[in-house]
Amino acid sequence: MLDIYLVQQIINGLSIGLVYALMAIGFTLIFGVLNVVNFAHGEVYMVGAFAGLMLITATAPPLLAVVLVVLAVGAMTGVGLERLAFKPFRRFRDEASLRSRAMREATLLSSLAVSIVAREVMTLVFGSNMQTIPQAFLLQHPIRLGVLSITDGDLIIFGASVVMLGALQYLLFRTRVGLSIRAVANSPLGAQFVGINTDRAIMATFAVGSMLGAVAGILVGLYSGTITPMMGFAPGIKAFVAMVMGGLSSIPGAVICALLLGVSESITTEFLASGWQDLVAYSFLIATLVFFPQGLFGVGRDRA
Amino acid sequence: MSAATVPERGTRPALPPAVTKGLLALIVFVVVPATMSAIGGGYLYGIATMALIFIILASSLNLVTGTAGLLSLGHAGFYGIGAYVAAILSTRMGLPFLITMPAAGVIAGAIGVVVALPTMRLVSIYFAVATLGIGQMIFVTLLNWTDFTRGPMGIRGIPPITILGWQPHSPMQQYMVVALTTVASLWILSRLTHSYFGNALRAVREDDQCASAMGLNVVQLKIVAFGTSCFFAGIAGALLAHTANFISPDQFQFGESINILAMVVVGGLGSLPGAVIGALLLVILPEALRGVGDFRMIAIGSVMFFSILLLPKGLLGEASALGLLRRQFGEAWSDGLGPRVGWR
Repeated sequence: MLDIYLVQQIINGLSIGLVYALMAIGFTLIFGVLNVVNFAHGEVYMVGAFAGLMLITATAPPLLAVVLVVLAVGAMTGVGLERLAFKPFRRFRDEASLRSRAMREATLLSSLAVSIVAREVMTLVFGSNMQTIPQAFLLQHPIRLGVLSITDGDLIIFGASVVMLGALQYLLFRTRVGLSIRAVANSPLGAQFVGINTDRAIMATFAVGSMLGAVAGILVGLYSGTITPMMGFAPGIKAFVAMVMGGLSSIPGAVICALLLGVSESITTEFLASGWQDLVAYSFLIATLVFFPQGLFGVGRDRA
Repeated sequence: MSAATVPERGTRPALPPAVTKGLLALIVFVVVPATMSAIGGGYLYGIATMALIFIILASSLNLVTGTAGLLSLGHAGFYGIGAYVAAILSTRMGLPFLITMPAAGVIAGAIGVVVALPTMRLVSIYFAVATLGIGQMIFVTLLNWTDFTRGPMGIRGIPPITILGWQPHSPMQQYMVVALTTVASLWILSRLTHSYFGNALRAVREDDQCASAMGLNVVQLKIVAFGTSCFFAGIAGALLAHTANFISPDQFQFGESINILAMVVVGGLGSLPGAVIGALLLVILPEALRGVGDFRMIAIGSVMFFSILLLPKGLLGEASALGLLRRQFGEAWSDGLGPRVGWR
């Protein structure tokens, strides 16, 4: 009996972990390219969920169309965010300032400020209560597999994550945009020397990262049935933890750590009241930072 | 006003320091209470008390984030520890204010030091993330340890301030006690930042490797600074518990840490008067906007965004904002050769 319950929890944990992974990739991409933390990533997730919900209540299209529209909205949100909170602080072009701590902390704070404003504006517009989602769109139809019971949401999240991770790999390693993103991540100055438009590459990074985040938002919104202006905060922090655990700029590391995080959180609920499950992520975070300062999968970095 | 900026600008203070201090004391202890009594409002006293509490929080965070250059995103957690220590000691054990307030400070400071021991070797963003995690851990514990903290219901009926049997009844007397504590904390913090200790912290902020090469014990300095900052956050928490008489975990969330950080950033990192002004601005502005609607957090977010964008050093940061303006607008009469290295 316990065994089946445990397996069930692991399955739930995997689908939550995949969502964290989708968000963590966005964080990781942006960190890899700009060396800054984007604290507004949770708000991109929230905006994605709201955009999808508005489309659903307006026209009730098929799920695939919703996902495509949310992808587009996510890309636009990402580019807008970059223009608003990151571009104004990239006034320097020399190498010292590209690495400077002051610039990094300024964008950290500016993205935080933008995320506060975005969250509060959404609260003013939509209210802080849970939005009602049409029943037909909730991804909660149970599917029985022998003794296990999963929902179609688990399958859809799994499928969507695999497709998007595959597409991301294709984009990063088989296209020119991906090449320029990787070049800027490797060395912003070097990329400029070989004639890459770094601003455009950075914008593309934000677009791609935010697309993944926004789709994660709508999928989770429909899966858990909760879409609120506050929904971005907790997964944002978890994804952030996954990114740090994975070593800040390693995408496979972030994905593995996000899955680990999701599974360990849902297993925790077996031993402790569910309120404590958040503690797991934070303990992992502190333990990683103290014992593996480079992350579990990270390579050595400059400590500046 | 800080030691670093005065020689830089090459100006002398307009008034002798004693006169400035006397004027400030006059404003805090006479003018503000008199005005508020004249307008007549317990509500105004509530805001003034909150502003004073946030002044302590912002100036204590300024010691860590401004002077020592360690971005802390978990200050509200230590504020919460202080509030809960004071609340639990006074409701369960009936201890008086004169014991609960130092106890709150000492316990928050001790937890700060314990937390700092493993995390102090982390640099820049890693340290910020670690403090974020610690702040959230404290919040989750306050929220879920229901046997001890009563969880989301919060603690009610915390006895008001009592000093050796004297109980300040009117809001004005309470305000006076809080103001006295705030002024004392500010005095200690300002002595700390303007001492050799403070200069050592500045050296650590500017370049920790260089500072350690010159013989400063960087880790120990950071731990002492963090512990002191947490001590004052705990004091602020105790003041909150005893003046508001009710505390609940959601007063100590991540958002509150950001709020305190915004005060320091707006005021100017590293400047104590800046932190005070930032705290006043971000407590009073949202209250003034209350009539317009619930714009509190939007106001805080926008003030923070624009101050980072337009005043990267804050209002009174350790390097003047004027230099920035000159560089921004100096372009108008430059040779127009397009972007050069430096400001756009």
